[in-house]
Amino acid sequence: MLGRVLQGLVAIVLIATVNFMLVRAAPGDPVSVLAGEAGASDAQFVAQLRAQFGLDQPITTQLATYLGKVVALDLGFSYRQQQPVLKLIVDRLPATLLLTGSAFVLSLLFGVTLGALSARKAGTWVDSAITIVALVFYATPLYWLALMAVLVFTVQLAWLPGFGFSTVGAGLSGLALAWDIAQHLLLPALTLALFYMAVYARMTRAAMLDVAQMDFVKTARAKGVKPGRILRAHVLRNALLPVVTLAGIQAGGMIGGAVLTETVFAWPGIGRLMFDALLQRDYGLLLGAFLVTAAMAVLFNLITDLVYTLVDPRIELG
Amino acid sequence: MTKSPFWHRFTRNKGAVAGTAVLLLVVAVALLGPWIATNDPWAMVQQPFLRPGAEAGFALGTDTLGRDILSGMIYGARISLLIGAVSTVVALLIGITLGAVAGYFGGLVDSALMRFTEIFQAVPSFALAIVLVAIFQPSVASIVTAIAIVSWPPVARLVRSEFLTLRQRDFVQAALLSGQSTPRIILTQILPNAMSPIIVMASLMVATAILLESSLSFLGLGDPNQMSWGYMVGSARTVLRQAWWMALFPGLAIVLTVLALNLVGEGLSDGLNTRLHGRTK
Amino acid sequence: MKRRNLIRMGASAAGLSLAGVPLHLLAAGKKGGVINAVVQPEPPGLMMGITQNGPTQLIAGNIYEGLLRYDEKVNPLPSLATSWTASKDGTVFTFKLKPGVLWHDGKPFTSADVVFSADVFLRKTHARLRANLAAVESIKAIDPLTVEFKLKYAFGPFIGIFEVGSMPMIPKHLYEGSDFLTNPANATPIGTGPFKFKEWVKGSYIQLVANDKYHVKDAPLVDSIYFHVIPDAASRAAAFESGKVDLVPGGAVEYFDVQRLSKLPGVAVTTKGWEFFAPHSWLWINNRKAPMDNIKFRQALMFAIDREAICKIAWQGFAKPATGPFNSNIKFYSTDVAKYPRNVDTAKKLLAEAGYKGETLRLLPLPYGETWTRTAEILRQNLAQAGVKVEMVATDVAGWNQKLNEWDYDLAFTYVYQYGDPALGVARNYTTANIAKGSPFNNVEGYSNPKIDELFDAGAKEGDPEKRKAIYLQAQKILLDEVPVAWLYEINFPTLYRTKLNNIVSSAIGLNDSLGGASIA
Repeated sequence: MLGRVLQGLVAIVLIATVNFMLVRAAPGDPVSVLAGEAGASDAQFVAQLRAQFGLDQPITTQLATYLGKVVALDLGFSYRQQQPVLKLIVDRLPATLLLTGSAFVLSLLFGVTLGALSARKAGTWVDSAITIVALVFYATPLYWLALMAVLVFTVQLAWLPGFGFSTVGAGLSGLALAWDIAQHLLLPALTLALFYMAVYARMTRAAMLDVAQMDFVKTARAKGVKPGRILRAHVLRNALLPVVTLAGIQAGGMIGGAVLTETVFAWPGIGRLMFDALLQRDYGLLLGAFLVTAAMAVLFNLITDLVYTLVDPRIELG
Repeated sequence: MTKSPFWHRFTRNKGAVAGTAVLLLVVAVALLGPWIATNDPWAMVQQPFLRPGAEAGFALGTDTLGRDILSGMIYGARISLLIGAVSTVVALLIGITLGAVAGYFGGLVDSALMRFTEIFQAVPSFALAIVLVAIFQPSVASIVTAIAIVSWPPVARLVRSEFLTLRQRDFVQAALLSGQSTPRIILTQILPNAMSPIIVMASLMVATAILLESSLSFLGLGDPNQMSWGYMVGSARTVLRQAWWMALFPGLAIVLTVLALNLVGEGLSDGLNTRLHGRTK
Repeated sequence: MKRRNLIRMGASAAGLSLAGVPLHLLAAGKKGGVINAVVQPEPPGLMMGITQNGPTQLIAGNIYEGLLRYDEKVNPLPSLATSWTASKDGTVFTFKLKPGVLWHDGKPFTSADVVFSADVFLRKTHARLRANLAAVESIKAIDPLTVEFKLKYAFGPFIGIFEVGSMPMIPKHLYEGSDFLTNPANATPIGTGPFKFKEWVKGSYIQLVANDKYHVKDAPLVDSIYFHVIPDAASRAAAFESGKVDLVPGGAVEYFDVQRLSKLPGVAVTTKGWEFFAPHSWLWINNRKAPMDNIKFRQALMFAIDREAICKIAWQGFAKPATGPFNSNIKFYSTDVAKYPRNVDTAKKLLAEAGYKGETLRLLPLPYGETWTRTAEILRQNLAQAGVKVEMVATDVAGWNQKLNEWDYDLAFTYVYQYGDPALGVARNYTTANIAKGSPFNNVEGYSNPKIDELFDAGAKEGDPEKRKAIYLQAQKILLDEVPVAWLYEINFPTLYRTKLNNIVSSAIGLNDSLGGASIA
């Protein structure tokens, strides 16, 4: 186990270095963006900013400085935003976690349930209906779904707020605030969930059908075990393996995929923060955000592997 | 001449048959594109915001600049399919190779390869795609490369988990005992049994690639010289109220193509499943 | 327009300031209320001395003030300076400051602050002002309420450099002796303006509250302003429609939406408030490379471009075709120059004469949104019709900056502000001295004509407006003959607002000036 954790740390350092190089390879840097936005600049202005951002140092020095700080858990300072990177990320992370967390739970819940139902009733119209509905949601571009949702539920029907984390200037607290946030959360979480629900539904269905063919299931059926029990104890447990794998993979990706949802719904999260940081070439912030999400993904993978070994004892943890 | 079992199972799935039909239609449109489109998709040939069917020859209306949407969609089929197919093939090649090796050999090889995969997976794939496209400057080539690079890890992991499971199966032990060589075992014994989830995944991947490309266009990172469906939906984004048809038709095209791909994948999975069932007896 | 607003406009034109006429006589609404506005994109900082981009000026214009304001004819009005006199030869300017003005932290505003701001702080951090102050020999505080500027020569546009974005007043007691760029006070900006900084929730909103010690009686009338950060244009439009925001500055929503939303009850649009900035757009043509080094080729481009179509289709009427290097809102603009109406045949003929062989040119669009993308697409089609092959280069803001800095382009879009006077906003794009890598806003096209250099130099050093007019007329004629760049259009950014908001645009810099005089009906 310790070996795995160490491997994870090494991975993070490698990720940091690769990210550092990748981002530097893009044309332009934060100073050119700032200068451009100022509408006027001269050599002194640019030189001043460059020195302040530490961009006038040789690249190996910049990398060494950065890695050294990362090890000390100092993610640097964003001159663009005039705040420490860690603070900026920590400020925005909860919003993204809330969004992706709810979407994750919702998508798994709906997905596995519908997938199981669909497998149970394989070949009937229920199966076809669920499959088609799931497929349509998976096939629809996420941002288009999001925009439609805003148009219908916010502009036309005025049922739900369409932007932001909570009502600005309302001064709510406690339960009232929680309710306000929940209302703001519903549309984005649901939109994001619908997209991934389809994946889990299909996966569950396919896996369950696969497992249902297997010998030990046939044996159980022949022995007269009740269908419900077969479903829960035998089929579902084994069918969930690929679903678990997929969920572990998707969890890390959901955070990045939240960029689109966060953009349309003006949800103040880390996905949008990363994209803005890229456009502004705010290296410190971009790398910090990459690192944090990478660390989380490494963590998810570790957990997934752990769950996997618990569910299927034949697999050894590498 | 009796139908092969695979084909029998495949055609039994009506969805798969429908999907195949739609897919063939899309491929035909893509191949015949320049000859059946009546206008250059970029040419401003009519007044902007023309409703579908309001003017003869413009069945799907025009967009913000007065360009023919139907022609745009025909050309869009070419680019979307091209990007989807090529990026998926590349991703599969990488992913299957790495996943099979990791899953078969286990131990240190597995660890090393999985760490390597993790590095790619650790960065959220969409964010990585954005960075890659930004570095290489948006073009068809850079988008295909970026999508392939972010898409292979899930393949590798899935193939690895399949191989880990199948490796323990009796028929593999039997093959080992009978002295078959490693590549032979991997390619002829394990891989065919692992194919059905891979095939399902592949059809999803082409679909994802098409959706990924459209998302990149939505954020302004598409190739500006190619009229793709993703680009069309992206340019319709801010005028949904005034011209809902601009987003609807390319969006529908994406949905239908993706749907078709998935249904075909289902059919393939059904067909192959049965064969699998025969093998494991 | 409401009659009361007409009175206000009239008062401004007559040179009466907010301070001169008691506000409650002109107040169109009751005191109190909250204004919800949109800011796009989120500014990198609010300290106006250091950050000068659009969103910063929009918000910080409420917090800081300058010595002067300007009416819609770009004539100076009092702000922190109540009056000014110039010496006969135009080289000494004396400003009298308003008494009783306090900074937001309670300390008094004096001439020492003016000297510190202009001579020390901004000289170090503000590139544009630095260039403008090249003509200034010394800045002295004569007494706590009087400042004297001595110029090296009669700098014609001198009275036009005191707007809050060009020369914001910075508190000396907070910044003297510190490292300006990292001073912690930058996080909580302190100014003399009608609103104080209250809170900034990154990614969500910025809140300003009324300055109850503001130096203008009965102002501000509004309790608080929220600037919401909503990253998507369609979301912003929907936010306005659903009532979450009431004020949308120019360029923040699609022009199609502006048209549509303006037809709703209780909604209005104004294009006023941009007269000082005079946004002007053109196509950089890289004069260093063939075929673009040929005058006939450049003239062909001018004839091939369909400006009317661009203004109508891409800008929905919120832009007007440009006639040359000067925006029609700035001083000494003239139409007595060569004209280039759209004519594809003339273009083709000139291309043949120029020896254009059909090589593909790279077109760099402005990466600021859909409107600019559409403009580029229309232009590409226009040029294709004349036979010029063009390939679009995809890029983002950083890439665009980089390419122009390094002159790595063939044709590239841009737009700049002209600040009311050719010496302030036009000269830098056409004079030889301004050819230098590292900036996308100087003489990027590489045009060099000694006669033009001479004219712009003379125009800056001339105090007599009549003489300046003649000089600049000559300059315009030459530029329109030699066509160093292909001028496109003037932008009239629309400000979308609910009619219950009064007096949101009260000077030539519009919303950037402050909502100090605004009220809610």
